[in-house]
Amino acid sequence: MTPCAVTTGFFTLGKCGRMAVAGCPACGRAICADHIAEGGQCPECAAARNQLSHPAAVAAQRRRAYRHRSAEQYADTVWYTSFDSYDRAAFDPNAGASQDYLDDGDDALVDS
Amino acid sequence: MADGHRAAYLAFDRFPSAKGSAVHIRHMAAELFERYGGGLLCVLGGGDLPAYQREHGVEIVRFTEAVPNLLDRAQAFSTWAADRLAAHLDTLEICHVRDPWSALPALTTDARLVYEANGLPSIELPYAWPMAAPSTLAKIREMEEHCLRRAEAVVVPSYQIKNAVTERGVTPDRVHLIPNGADPVAPDVPRPPDAPGRYVVYVGALQPWQGVDVLLRAFARLADLTDLSLVVCSSVTRSRARPLVRLAENLNIPVIWRFQLPHEEVAGWLAHAELSVAPLTATPRNLVQGCSPIKVWESMAAGTAVVASDLPVIREVLGDLGRFVPPGRPAELSRAIRVLLEYPEIGRDLGDRSRQKIIDGYTWKHARSRLSGVYDLVVGH
Repeated sequence: MTPCAVTTGFFTLGKCGRMAVAGCPACGRAICADHIAEGGQCPECAAARNQLSHPAAVAAQRRRAYRHRSAEQYADTVWYTSFDSYDRAAFDPNAGASQDYLDDGDDALVDS
Repeated sequence: MADGHRAAYLAFDRFPSAKGSAVHIRHMAAELFERYGGGLLCVLGGGDLPAYQREHGVEIVRFTEAVPNLLDRAQAFSTWAADRLAAHLDTLEICHVRDPWSALPALTTDARLVYEANGLPSIELPYAWPMAAPSTLAKIREMEEHCLRRAEAVVVPSYQIKNAVTERGVTPDRVHLIPNGADPVAPDVPRPPDAPGRYVVYVGALQPWQGVDVLLRAFARLADLTDLSLVVCSSVTRSRARPLVRLAENLNIPVIWRFQLPHEEVAGWLAHAELSVAPLTATPRNLVQGCSPIKVWESMAAGTAVVASDLPVIREVLGDLGRFVPPGRPAELSRAIRVLLEYPEIGRDLGDRSRQKIIDGYTWKHARSRLSGVYDLVVGH
């Protein structure tokens, strides 16, 4: 059985652990039937896109907002701006727009 | 092993390539290295490009690691560039960069930072990577601001980008406008041997914001002009142009595609065209971020009249020396093309005056001299 890898809990965070029925299309993590949020994503990915119809996505967004705020307060810009797996997932080779449009190979960051 | 360089130019961009950005890098880096008697050029590699070259005091190192994820690759480039700079920490006086991933390693040195902002990844990336979440783009914006604010000088090619950069907290006195340029094309540049009789030309990349689909739809409305062809000189490969090639086939348009032409061959195609088209769309990339389309500069330098979308970024380059149409409107675009074709003397006059404008103040030599002024300011502080 593949366990659901969504973070749950209030005082102590842990993994949900129920049987997963799907994988998040954005980050690939295993999700159980209860934790499938908008667009079949995991709550963390839905929260990162401001899609908050699932209660677990709201919780995930609160956790993200807290990390964001605390990093700002402590002026920890390196930590604050570091990219997590949710950020990275959007830049996987298969996540791009029509690959045909990508300019000069997929390494193009900015085309002047 | 390199002896200590005094100057470094870093870009998360392949160099050389058929893109306009490569033309830009070539001229800007040449100015920097001429001033400092050589230097270190850190860019992306790939294809047949060597990972290491040394030419007349300039050391060219290319990042060639295959990292599939773009963010990972950008960060790996930063780390790699920091290692390259580490050998020159004692001597490095100035670092010229084009993006935040190049700026971050430069900021770890004591060198003065000149940030050449031709685009802002927080605005431009979502076009190619639509899954990027707003929170991710906010982090990228944060990083941009971090780097831009710490730069001694920020060089921008248009007022639009100047506004976007000052919105990110850079004080206006540190932002220097250096428009792109073009070198005048010799009047006797030969006609490309495979050029059709009469043709309209588009030169550049094919991302959605370039509006090439609008141009194709406009051209479909010129089907009665049977002696007229459309030539697309694309800076990207044939496989990447597939959706537009399909659209052209569906619309039954006689398009002559040329892919990744060497830069010197593009001049001939531009100079012998009836007119050149810059159909940019009204997207945030063009309206909020801004740009300075090299295709327009080079059309002017070739003395070819331009029909373009009426956007501030294009007005900034062309002034009143073009025919303007509302962006994203094929019918309007086809009408403007037809009018200019029917009044060739007006087209010739626009082309001649455009070429003169370039000669008078917008060659790459002028751009380099403006950049030199910025370096004077930066090292004088």
